[in-house]
Amino acid sequence: MTPPAVELASVGKRYWRIQERSLIRSLVPLGKPRRQDLWALRDVDLRIDPGETVGIIGRNGAGKSTLLRLLAGVSQPTTGSLTIRGRIAPLLSVGVGFHQEMTGRENVYVNGMLLGLTKRQIETRFHDIVEFAELGEFIDTPVKFYSSGMFMRLGFSIAIHVDPEVLLVDEVLAVGDVGFQLRCFDHMRKLQRGGTTILFVSHSMHAVHLLCPRTVFVNKGGIEADGATEPTIARYHELLATEGEHDGGDAPVRVTHRELELAGGGRVEVVDQDRALTYRTTLRFRQAVESPQVFFRILSEDGTLAYSMQTTLGDSWRAYGPGEEAAVTVGFRPAFGGGGTFRIGIVVTDDDGRHVLLHDQSGPSFYVPPRLGVSGVADLGAAIAVDGESRTDHRSLRLDGKVSWSATEGEAVRS
Amino acid sequence: MPEPTTPVLHLDSRPERLREWLGGMWRFRSVLRALAGKDFRVRYKRASFGVLWAVAMPIVQASVMVFVFSRVGRFGAGQDFSYAAYVLAGMTAWFFASMSINAGTTSIVDAASLTDKVWFPRAVLALVPTAANLVTLGISVAILLVALPILGEPYTLRLLLIVPAAVLLVVFTAALSLALAGLYVYFRDTKFMVQAAMLLWFYVTPILYPASVLDSAGPWLDYNPLTGITGLFQYAAVGASVSGRAVIVSVATTIVLLLLAVPGHRRHDRLFVDQL
Repeated sequence: MTPPAVELASVGKRYWRIQERSLIRSLVPLGKPRRQDLWALRDVDLRIDPGETVGIIGRNGAGKSTLLRLLAGVSQPTTGSLTIRGRIAPLLSVGVGFHQEMTGRENVYVNGMLLGLTKRQIETRFHDIVEFAELGEFIDTPVKFYSSGMFMRLGFSIAIHVDPEVLLVDEVLAVGDVGFQLRCFDHMRKLQRGGTTILFVSHSMHAVHLLCPRTVFVNKGGIEADGATEPTIARYHELLATEGEHDGGDAPVRVTHRELELAGGGRVEVVDQDRALTYRTTLRFRQAVESPQVFFRILSEDGTLAYSMQTTLGDSWRAYGPGEEAAVTVGFRPAFGGGGTFRIGIVVTDDDGRHVLLHDQSGPSFYVPPRLGVSGVADLGAAIAVDGESRTDHRSLRLDGKVSWSATEGEAVRS
Repeated sequence: MPEPTTPVLHLDSRPERLREWLGGMWRFRSVLRALAGKDFRVRYKRASFGVLWAVAMPIVQASVMVFVFSRVGRFGAGQDFSYAAYVLAGMTAWFFASMSINAGTTSIVDAASLTDKVWFPRAVLALVPTAANLVTLGISVAILLVALPILGEPYTLRLLLIVPAAVLLVVFTAALSLALAGLYVYFRDTKFMVQAAMLLWFYVTPILYPASVLDSAGPWLDYNPLTGITGLFQYAAVGASVSGRAVIVSVATTIVLLLLAVPGHRRHDRLFVDQL
């Protein structure tokens, strides 16, 4: 049996949170320094075999960054031990270690060495690096004259040509245009096939879904779930939803019930774009409200508004007294062309929309796989014809729980 | 599949052993060279006169000092050597030390975005300014050698002492940079204290004046670790008397700094990042 590539045995990491760390306080121990222990990670056991691709998810502050620092070997565990077999390299976020005044070529050498390559190793890879970055003759121009796209391509290109045995990827795929992203994904797949162990930290459930058969969910400094990606992501969404329950404690309107349902049944955590969803929520009024207005909102992963629909303003319909409940039902189809993870929110205002009575942001979330060839928030059903010949692929990209793209026949061609 | 030769990183709560730390420094020497080269090239890249500035700065500074202090303080009077050559020799050492130490102090903190992601011994970062300034030091020494006959100081065998003097200067500067860079990670006052200390340090080091002009206060300057170093430079260049005690203090201070800084870095190498 091959030994694991990454092995963590009851690893803990403690940070000191000293109120004010200053020279004087350290030299003159006046009273006890107000010191707070903060365990960013506690008793983490993790074993990753060579060649595995593992997603690491969790909210900000859950301990993901600390875990990554430990794995990269830049930080030392407070308790337990950690073993990494093989050369480990991070996929640096774009431009880390770059110097604006230096040419692309010079930056390749400095950055390559920082990532642990020898000069000769960089020389042999140099051609491939420049080729992948599509820089051509610009490689001898100072990088400050690069467009942000060129800058990013070069940084990424160096990182993926380091060829480590263990690759740490931290949220770097979120940048760049779609074409480049796809090539990066392709390259990661190539590394996967070549036996590279990949640890993929991301907030994008979409990307984790596509790349990782196994996912670790980090929560409150420990491992909440570790296993096949889909149930782990489902667990993550479950936890996100239940932790928002305390919302709106003394708002004039409260949510007493939320439910997301898929027409025809099935899991709502992953929903294809052409399925119909029904969201049912119950609002309890704590004060009298005349003709309340209801906004149905969908927020994308980064909190931006992806969609909003509201009841018609100004049309009076009925008044609710304190203690009364209103049942809201919303039917919709998640036709978010480029896919992503979305969350449902409800806003209630008074009848002229001036006072917000409820701002519920902790509705259920769900993941929508992208449509082939589509990016952006909405699916406008566009069809592209070139010289009269349809050039649009009307297949939907679906996930069958495996790390593969499986395209199935979608709807009929729209006219 | 990992081959038997694949590197294995094993971390627990214990600090690295000295041998491992030194091994890491050795393995990453190319990073030191690359970063120092980058530092040096970048500094003069945008300037039309480029590296000429590295030549010009010590000359300009020394000339101004000589012009002002040979008139105001009359420090040069009554000596049997060229005052200008004496100042230039001292400035050569001082310029190197002050530039390297100032930049070295903040080096680890300044590289936070990098140290957060990639591991290499952090001591490498602290040594980058010292290494980058080696080129400048070489140029300054060359200028000194060219200037000596012009200023009326003949070449003698004493000049060979420049080599051990420069070695001592570089090791001392490196050791102090290591210590201060580590301290600055934990105590952010360090930067300002260093800046303030540098101002004072310049005047309590016999660079503009020979220690002898201070009469009874002169011997106290021997306890300033830079006195021995600048003294060696001045002795080599113009034959000004150098106190043996000052040289011993310089060497001893360098050793003590290394004995403090090296174990400190070994122990804290992977803990610095927690403070950034």
